[in-house]
Amino acid sequence: MGKELNNEGFVKKMFKKYYAEWEGEPPKDFNRREFAFVISRKGEMIRHKAFEEWGEVREFLRKNSPLHVYYSSAYYAQPSASDMDAKEWMGADLIFDIDVDHIYTPCKERHDRWTCLDCNTSGRGMPPEACPKCSSKRVEVKTWFCEGCLEVAKEETTKLVEDFLIQDFNFSPREISIVFSGRRGFHVHVESDVVKELDQRARREIVDYVRGTGLVVQNGKRRVLAPPLNAGGWPGRLAKGVYELLNAGDIEGLLNLRRGSKVEEVLKAIVKGLEESRDYWPLEGLARKIWFKAVEKVIVRKRCEVDERVTTDIKRLIRMPGTLHGGTGLIAAKVHLKDLESFDPYVHAVAFVKGEIKVKVLNMPEITFLNQTWGPYNDEVVELPIGLAVYLICSENAIVVGEGDENA
Amino acid sequence: MIFSKLDAATYPFISLASRLVKELEESLGLNAILSPDSEVLRRSVERIREAVYSRATSVYKRDLEVEVLSHPVALILIKHMNNKRLVNVYAEAEKNRVLANLLKESQEKLATLAIDGFNWHVKREGDFLFVRFDDYLKTSVNMLDAYWKLVNRRLVKGYVELSRRDFSRLLAEAYRTRILEKVNQVEDVQVPSTLKSVIEELEREFQGVLPKVDVSATYVGEYVPSAFPACILKLLEEAEQGKNLSHMARFTLATFLLSIGKTPEELLDLFRKMPDFDESKTLYHLRHIAGEIGSRKKYTPPSCATLRTFGLCVANDELCQKVKHPLTYYSKKLKSLKRGELGKRAK
Repeated sequence: MGKELNNEGFVKKMFKKYYAEWEGEPPKDFNRREFAFVISRKGEMIRHKAFEEWGEVREFLRKNSPLHVYYSSAYYAQPSASDMDAKEWMGADLIFDIDVDHIYTPCKERHDRWTCLDCNTSGRGMPPEACPKCSSKRVEVKTWFCEGCLEVAKEETTKLVEDFLIQDFNFSPREISIVFSGRRGFHVHVESDVVKELDQRARREIVDYVRGTGLVVQNGKRRVLAPPLNAGGWPGRLAKGVYELLNAGDIEGLLNLRRGSKVEEVLKAIVKGLEESRDYWPLEGLARKIWFKAVEKVIVRKRCEVDERVTTDIKRLIRMPGTLHGGTGLIAAKVHLKDLESFDPYVHAVAFVKGEIKVKVLNMPEITFLNQTWGPYNDEVVELPIGLAVYLICSENAIVVGEGDENA
Repeated sequence: MIFSKLDAATYPFISLASRLVKELEESLGLNAILSPDSEVLRRSVERIREAVYSRATSVYKRDLEVEVLSHPVALILIKHMNNKRLVNVYAEAEKNRVLANLLKESQEKLATLAIDGFNWHVKREGDFLFVRFDDYLKTSVNMLDAYWKLVNRRLVKGYVELSRRDFSRLLAEAYRTRILEKVNQVEDVQVPSTLKSVIEELEREFQGVLPKVDVSATYVGEYVPSAFPACILKLLEEAEQGKNLSHMARFTLATFLLSIGKTPEELLDLFRKMPDFDESKTLYHLRHIAGEIGSRKKYTPPSCATLRTFGLCVANDELCQKVKHPLTYYSKKLKSLKRGELGKRAK
């Protein structure tokens, strides 16, 4: 056939294919939620949609094959009202967003680049808030999601779900869904009557808890009270964390302590104290100093990097699980907690698995896609699996050069 | 556990208290309860006076039915006096009274009171009481000290572990919050004209003791940086140095200064040094949050809690511990500065 197609047309065609067969899984009380869509790259977001039947949602997606599909974390009496007050808020899911964009990962130095649109200064790694040379805020970023980033996102998600949501807050695993964000992280949805009606202030307390914000380490003038290992919440988490830390190797190096018999002795005493104490117990002098240094490290290790704005917003629009992300063409796929460790977005979130297509790749680091390694490519025409091509085109790293055999 | 009439008089938040009020209102009639020579009215007025003059109410044990009725009647009177400080003073006094009583109760009684009065989910184990975290949060968000932040509590399987003392404090605070809600809710019952004179008399009496303050009026138009909280001073300094402030930092600074009477045009110069300054854009944003254009909503600065979450809080003078909002800090500090000056002059 060889019909010329532009990028957007190609993406649209692929999305249409995806939604033609799409069944989806209705979120809890979907008819009380607002839906929102982005249909085309230049188009505005269509908001305040509501659906009574799940079939209508499927029909809408089939017809419009949107680039982005969102629904509200909130439940409303009038979800289609265009005035936010007229919607009549009835409650909301508790949402967490873990996004590698906001978390430092060392691998970003290798694969992320930023460019100032005003003076063309560029660099690698996390983008600065403003260009260091001309202070412009118009900084463009090119980011990739590598295995290193994925690992960090998984680790944070596991911590959030297992240590905080299940262990401390006692949510049942049935109330928690983990969803790949479609790009560089995970969304965690908690649908529970316990939190449904909590206001912003209460949700801020929850997010502060998870992030360890405002944590006060009990400290007197001369002594500090160390919690016992079996304490609940953060006190126990700190005690356990210090215990693990002191039992690992090279403590002196990690805590920047001078090696010596005195330090050895104190470290042993803290470990022994933790093993034996059933209640808060005092630490003085050098032990108190070491405790503080250790606790600082433990907080960073045990806290969970979630985006506080998402959790405290009780009227947030969030990507609908099972739909495609217009910036990657990947599925915002639900992931079971037990499958999280082995989850690979370039396998399990790929929507288009059959066929190849020729595209001109502008820039791409080495990527393992559907268990096969591709690239790196720089400004060259190559034949790629269609899913990877869609990914590159959606993220503006490639352009269509001709029609492949995906229709064959 | 069965509650007694004394419990209903001591703890107006339990269901027995509201049941008794309803029954008595039906059998006696509202007019009789509110008549000028009624014992209930006399006791209600006394109750308010106790709150104003000794900051704690008492329990009048001679006639428990009068006592039970006097609380809702006091709330009606207070509602009609329309003095925000009086509401706070009364709620605080009631809280203090209830707390003193709670501290003497058994663990079992405490649990029962919380379950009956506020539908809390409560568990008991050893020396501790456990409150489900959502019940805990609904009240603890009103408590300022970092001690009450969830992150500093022991949270076990969805329940917050509390000593008897802390449980009592939380419960008393829940009661205080409920009084504030109730006063805002009490519908405008038509009060008998005889009651009006009682209300007017009390208003006159409290004029000197509890002057009505219009918080916004105390600082509008007064630009006294030495009374700014540390967080605002820091932002101001950074803005003047031309540092690139985050969105939240700019919003905080702008809303704070607009709230104390600066105009959007006056603030333009402050943001001029920002690296990405664009006069028309900045003015547009400033006018928007000042409520001059757009949704016409006048934005107020974020609360201390929000500033903490965004890492903008640099707290730590004593006054910071007592307030929840940078504007409250400003108004209080301004007042104490003025008092100090007057003091000096008097000498």
